[in-house]
Amino acid sequence: MKRVLLFVSFGLMGLFLVTLVQSSGLPLSTASTVRPATVDPVSLRTLQARYKTLAKQLTQLMPTQPYILVDTARNHLYIKRQDQVMLDALASTGSGTILDKPGESKGQWIFDTPRGEFTVQSRLTNPVWVKPDWAFIEEGLAVPKSQADRLEPGVLGEYALGFGKGYFIHGTLYTRLLGKNVTHGCIRLNDDDLKSVYRLAKVGTPIMIF
Amino acid sequence: MTFLCATFSILLSLISVSWAAEPEVIPPGDLADSASLQEATRVLEEEVKLAAKPQTYVFMDLAANVILIKGRGVELHRSPIERWSASDLSRFAALYRLRERPQVTRRKIDPMAVAEQDPISLVDMPTTFTLKFSPPLTILVLSNTDGNPWQWTLQRGRVWWRRLTAWGQILRTGDMSPPPPSLDLTVSLDHAQSLAWTVTEGMPFLIRRPTP
Repeated sequence: MKRVLLFVSFGLMGLFLVTLVQSSGLPLSTASTVRPATVDPVSLRTLQARYKTLAKQLTQLMPTQPYILVDTARNHLYIKRQDQVMLDALASTGSGTILDKPGESKGQWIFDTPRGEFTVQSRLTNPVWVKPDWAFIEEGLAVPKSQADRLEPGVLGEYALGFGKGYFIHGTLYTRLLGKNVTHGCIRLNDDDLKSVYRLAKVGTPIMIF
Repeated sequence: MTFLCATFSILLSLISVSWAAEPEVIPPGDLADSASLQEATRVLEEEVKLAAKPQTYVFMDLAANVILIKGRGVELHRSPIERWSASDLSRFAALYRLRERPQVTRRKIDPMAVAEQDPISLVDMPTTFTLKFSPPLTILVLSNTDGNPWQWTLQRGRVWWRRLTAWGQILRTGDMSPPPPSLDLTVSLDHAQSLAWTVTEGMPFLIRRPTP
């Protein structure tokens, strides 16, 4: 029993010392760096050439035309061309909330703005919102049977840019909510910024969302 | 002689311009250092494959102490790493895929509710969390607790608990095979929450190891 206590005490003391070292910012790992086997000069030149080739390949994959960048955590939309920021706009992105699908025990909608890389697939002027089922359900209303009852003009602003699966960059009536995560996944902008995005983005323009 | 010097200077400046004009990719460190060049090339090979697809990915550069969110080779966001420690860097692979993102308590919309319901935001994200990957790797993300002893104690407790359970596992099973590699990262509170917000299931993570 004494031995066990002694073992545990030493273990805890060791952990404490390790913690102190770690919290002091000193490297804890005994293998905090890696040193592969050294190479001869010919192999080094081959390696340098390989690095340059790969670096060139990576550059060729970078967008040369303007692209849209969306920071969903800070609710900003940027248009960038290489390192140049052409537009920095306050936006509203997905709220991250969930809504149960009626009649389905496990089905639910998650209102996130999708992350990843997309492209502008459509450019619309004076878009009309075709309200999906969730828009009625979250307001406690019955889902209409007629398509005409789903149409709501004037709420999306003057322009809309579709990037797939029903997601759009569009305008808003609720400009006071810009900068907050309040949408059902779409990206909202004020009228002026929306106009700039519409002018700068073409079908095929990349949209990177993180 | 002056002419030769001038020609040499022009040639030298052209060479340096060509290097300066190289794309903003993983800096190899010292080009004459085979170790750092090997590591940079290893990671760059993986990045070229990732950047060829329409996706975002995370590049953890432990040599430069920075976490980058990237897409198509372009840097989208940068978070500095304040401290890190790793269990066995030599076993780190270049590419990992995140098995699951940190748990987020999502609010459920109540259609009957009268009051406006708050959405989730960055401040709802965890400040300390574990990321698990395939192939096996565990990254413990800790936020800077300077000036907050309670948070510091909680975080240390979490680190201790992880080590105690690992030892307990060894004592229980007698299995002395090395545990999967692990990495502990300390970033600012804002960057920890930002990372928790950004990562998604299946997201690729590239890790570049430092060389001495």
